[in-house]
Amino acid sequence: MIVLLFAVTVTLLLAYQKGDRLDDVISKKLGLEKDKIYVIDFFASWCGSCKKEMPYLNRFAENEKGKDIEVIGIDVDENVEEGKAFQQALKAKKSLQFKVLDDPKGEIIKYFDPIGMPAIYIVKNGKVEALILGAKDHIDTLLHEKTEALR
Amino acid sequence: MRWVVIVLVLLFQGCAVKNVKPWEKGLLAKERMKPDNGNALFTRFSKHIYFSKEASKGGGGVAGGGCGCN
Repeated sequence: MIVLLFAVTVTLLLAYQKGDRLDDVISKKLGLEKDKIYVIDFFASWCGSCKKEMPYLNRFAENEKGKDIEVIGIDVDENVEEGKAFQQALKAKKSLQFKVLDDPKGEIIKYFDPIGMPAIYIVKNGKVEALILGAKDHIDTLLHEKTEALR
Repeated sequence: MRWVVIVLVLLFQGCAVKNVKPWEKGLLAKERMKPDNGNALFTRFSKHIYFSKEASKGGGGVAGGGCGCN
């Protein structure tokens, strides 16, 4: 029990929280630029809530296209083929039109270490400005409100 | 001796902890990992029997696709 409590505490301490700075490794991997707002969404093909949320997230990405906001999807499927098939199915329905990076070995998500999925991080100038865990109704509206406050 | 036992118990507790991260639950979310191995007919009969005996239903599923959310 003590070990378990210790493991949970350490996990929460190491995970990115609001106000934390991203490691340089991650900023470089994601290609983050200064003064731009990034919405980073972690999803997987087997995550039902992520699937439900995706059309709304895509709507947000399309509405903000050409502005100083970029949505980056991180597909954490361990099986890349399953992940690609999932992405293709969404693309066919025009529910996924933003940049997606595959992270089968968890090399990106391990830095963020969210406690559940979908997990959305809003990042500006290398700093986590907000994080949204779990699927929310009308995530597009919620993201619009949060990103507007950062402008 | 007592201390040896305490230390061993703590060590073995550590062995039992496998912290599965939310993004590592792809395999656990698969249909074949369900208790009925994805057999819809079996589930339907089970639910029917449960409802007949208990006069109540629900509570047998997991929301959110096994991703540890909602």
